[in-house]
Amino acid sequence: MVRKPVEYQSDVWVDWCPGCGDFGILASMYRAFSELDLSPEKTVVVSGIGCSGKTPHFIKTNGVHTLHGRAIPFAMGIKLANPELTVIINGGDGDLLGIGIGHFIALGRRNIDLTIILHNNTVYGLTKGQASPTLKRGLKPKSLPKPNIQDAVNPIALALSSGYTFIARGYSMMVDHLKELIKKAIQHKGAAFIEVLQPCITYDNIHTVEYYKKRVYKMEDSDWNPIVEKIDEREDKMLKALAKSMEYDEKIPIGVFYQDKCAVSFEERIHERIPTYLENPPAKQKIEQDGRPIIDNITFKKIFNQYIVEVE
Amino acid sequence: MYELSIIIGGPQGSGLETSASILTYSLARSGYGVLSDREYFSNIKGRHSYVHLTISSEKIPTFLTYPVQLVAGLDHETIFTHFESLEDGGVLVYDLYIEEKTLDTTPSMEEDLKKRLNLKFKKFGIDGSVKSLIKYISDVKKIKPIGINYSDVINEVSKKIALPASQAARYTSSIVIGAVAGLLNINKSNIEYSLIRRFGDRRELIQHNKIIIDLVYDKVVEEHGPLMKLERSKLDHRELMIASGNDVIAMAKIVGGLRYQSYYPITPAADESFMIESYEKLEVDGKDAGSVVVIQTEDEIAAIASTIGAALTGARASTSTSGPGFSLMVEGLGWAGMNEVPIVITYYQRGGPSTGLPTRGSQSDLLFTLYASHGEFPRIVLASGDHTEAFYDAIEAFNLAERYQTPVIHLLDKFLANSIKTLVPPDLSSIVIDRGDLLSNVSGEYRRFDISKTISPRAVLGANTIMWYTGDEHDEFGHIDEDPENREQMYRKRMEKLRIADEEIPEEKRMYYYGVGDEDVLLVGWGFVKGVAIETVNTLYTKGIRAGYLHIKMFSPFPSKSVKNLLNRFEEKKIIAVEHNYLAQSSIAVRSSVGVEIKKSIVKYTGRPIYKNELVEAVLRVLEGEDRVVLRYGP
Repeated sequence: MVRKPVEYQSDVWVDWCPGCGDFGILASMYRAFSELDLSPEKTVVVSGIGCSGKTPHFIKTNGVHTLHGRAIPFAMGIKLANPELTVIINGGDGDLLGIGIGHFIALGRRNIDLTIILHNNTVYGLTKGQASPTLKRGLKPKSLPKPNIQDAVNPIALALSSGYTFIARGYSMMVDHLKELIKKAIQHKGAAFIEVLQPCITYDNIHTVEYYKKRVYKMEDSDWNPIVEKIDEREDKMLKALAKSMEYDEKIPIGVFYQDKCAVSFEERIHERIPTYLENPPAKQKIEQDGRPIIDNITFKKIFNQYIVEVE
Repeated sequence: MYELSIIIGGPQGSGLETSASILTYSLARSGYGVLSDREYFSNIKGRHSYVHLTISSEKIPTFLTYPVQLVAGLDHETIFTHFESLEDGGVLVYDLYIEEKTLDTTPSMEEDLKKRLNLKFKKFGIDGSVKSLIKYISDVKKIKPIGINYSDVINEVSKKIALPASQAARYTSSIVIGAVAGLLNINKSNIEYSLIRRFGDRRELIQHNKIIIDLVYDKVVEEHGPLMKLERSKLDHRELMIASGNDVIAMAKIVGGLRYQSYYPITPAADESFMIESYEKLEVDGKDAGSVVVIQTEDEIAAIASTIGAALTGARASTSTSGPGFSLMVEGLGWAGMNEVPIVITYYQRGGPSTGLPTRGSQSDLLFTLYASHGEFPRIVLASGDHTEAFYDAIEAFNLAERYQTPVIHLLDKFLANSIKTLVPPDLSSIVIDRGDLLSNVSGEYRRFDISKTISPRAVLGANTIMWYTGDEHDEFGHIDEDPENREQMYRKRMEKLRIADEEIPEEKRMYYYGVGDEDVLLVGWGFVKGVAIETVNTLYTKGIRAGYLHIKMFSPFPSKSVKNLLNRFEEKKIIAVEHNYLAQSSIAVRSSVGVEIKKSIVKYTGRPIYKNELVEAVLRVLEGEDRVVLRYGP
């Protein structure tokens, strides 16, 4: 019996602004979790700070609401200590690409089997609409006193150059499409990144539902195959994805930009070094026997014999 | 001789550390106790570094002192930097080739020292050259100079081993081993043993080093005899462990069940993580004995965040850092406090503020660790005084973290991190692993922050239940809750844990008193001060001054009753704080915890350790009426 989407809803009242794009993301997650039949006990939703940071409280799986910008390293510790857990990160554009951008890049380098859902609404909503790192220069949503003076980052291009092995973009108002992306991202073995375009209906009067409606189109509707099945396809597909990521003004593509199925995950890299890692990871190891360490005086001297000198 | 202090010095990256290690292994093999401190610049190659050793045939030494009886140098900077540290009648081993070198032709030396030396040289009629300096110290201080032409030795060896002199030159530092070993009359077979231990199956290295060491050894003994022959050791240990503070902590964490360690490279902490990583796969007799995942993160923020993440899954997790790294970690520390996560932060203090003295020691972060991060939450701050204490404390840190579900800061310093000591191997038979109230199975609805218990039973992520965590104030389930009554209850629940810890952890484990009971002078210290303070009170006792030493080991929760009772036994003017910082920070902690003001202090903040000679003298000065003595000894 597969769990229904409603079974993933927690009892906490969702206190986002009525009409917020976050509702679409949340609904997509419930449905994706349901279709994958994720076990709540083996699933951890990790978030940072901001409107998106509250996401874990609304989901009836494990939830870890962390610090501003730090959801990725928290999630990394959870996943590496217990790789059997499915770990999904929710973060805003300010969280993941402003204060936390170093961690964002580092995760790409590691290719840990985590899923990131970037709530991209171009503003810092919870602090009343300051410009986020994805707001273009020169734009002035109504919350800003002056037009934005800083340039925007390109999240898809950044993810590509950082080493993410699954990169996609969704739109919060297209819940079914986004649900499919989330499912694929969770099923992907490696660092998966989904940028979700999302209107902030309270502070951003530029990137509205109308705005996106006119621009968004699905890449999969045309001849688009982003999947690397063999290593020698990597360069070609990555360059095509990079070119596609530059398309962002009149038309905005959504769907999967790039997926590398040949990449070795970080967990597999650890496993190569520690053959017992996957079956007996840090979280599952027994470290004591009747309240005593499993290393006794004799084993200690065997393990650390390099440091011990027998006196003549 | 039964006790000896020596210095060997040379440019950073010249093999000095390896030489010191081989000497230490040889001495330990011969049964001697050794403590060695390594002093170095933040530099990879070229700047002056030295190893300062205390060697004893009667006990395992706990302190360093001046003057030294022997200085052996690879270069002229060593002679310039350390000639004043030599005892009258001491021995100087140096390279004849550098006799013509002068202060002005020593660009690696800092200008401050050059200036000070130039003034002295002028006064003593020294022309600035090594030659003139050596003449002066042999005439006036009766120092015995032993000049060896290092390049002659290299040339001779190069012929023997059929290696071009340019390549044989990499064994130059072994000349110092040969000279020191000859003068101390260390058994040659014990040196060979150490070479084998050091180089393992790299037989060529062993052979080449042995040839050069034997050659210099024989030459020195033939010309000068074993001038500084050590008494036969009276220590009756069958085996000795040789380890730095970093090594000891790494071993202890592994024994204590560490399974996840994250770090960002920083001196003087990083060596610990490197060592743990080299033991990531634990095998005994081919059988799996566990494994540790060690991750080098992108910064210290990620280091503590991922440590917390791992701890949430039930793995014993820690991160290891120094001041600048901990500065970045404090927000994460607060999250761990708020969410009652058992993590251990191993904190090796170095000279601050800012980058400060990155490779030198300090104890200036005590107050920082006690109060770091915004808001209020319980934390345990544990400070270790020596290698042995540090070993057991590193294990207990995990027990405390899990028992009280709160972050534990294990406070150490660079002095301990980088000093190598011969130790009696630890006894693990009495070590306890206490995981606190850890649930393996949850039945019914789970409340991570169950308010009916101050320390709520802890299930982990991945157990048969779900839970939430948040840095916001939360309800019993871990959901955001700003209700005033809930706030008050949750706040109190967290803070109460410190009171429980204070009740449960015996005060006699949180402070030690060294004395027989009839003392009327009290030194108060913590951390690496312990060794030199105990030696100092022993020395003072022989001079008729009845001094004792109070060693404070835990600053949170503070052992208030015992410390107060002890302090009350002494006259105010005879209680002296001894520390490596400016403010005498432990006296501030004492005052805020027990209300007793320690008015006298002996402090040092040059980044070099407190030496016995200067501490003894400083105590005498305080007893004569001075309120504060600032120590400066050591180059």
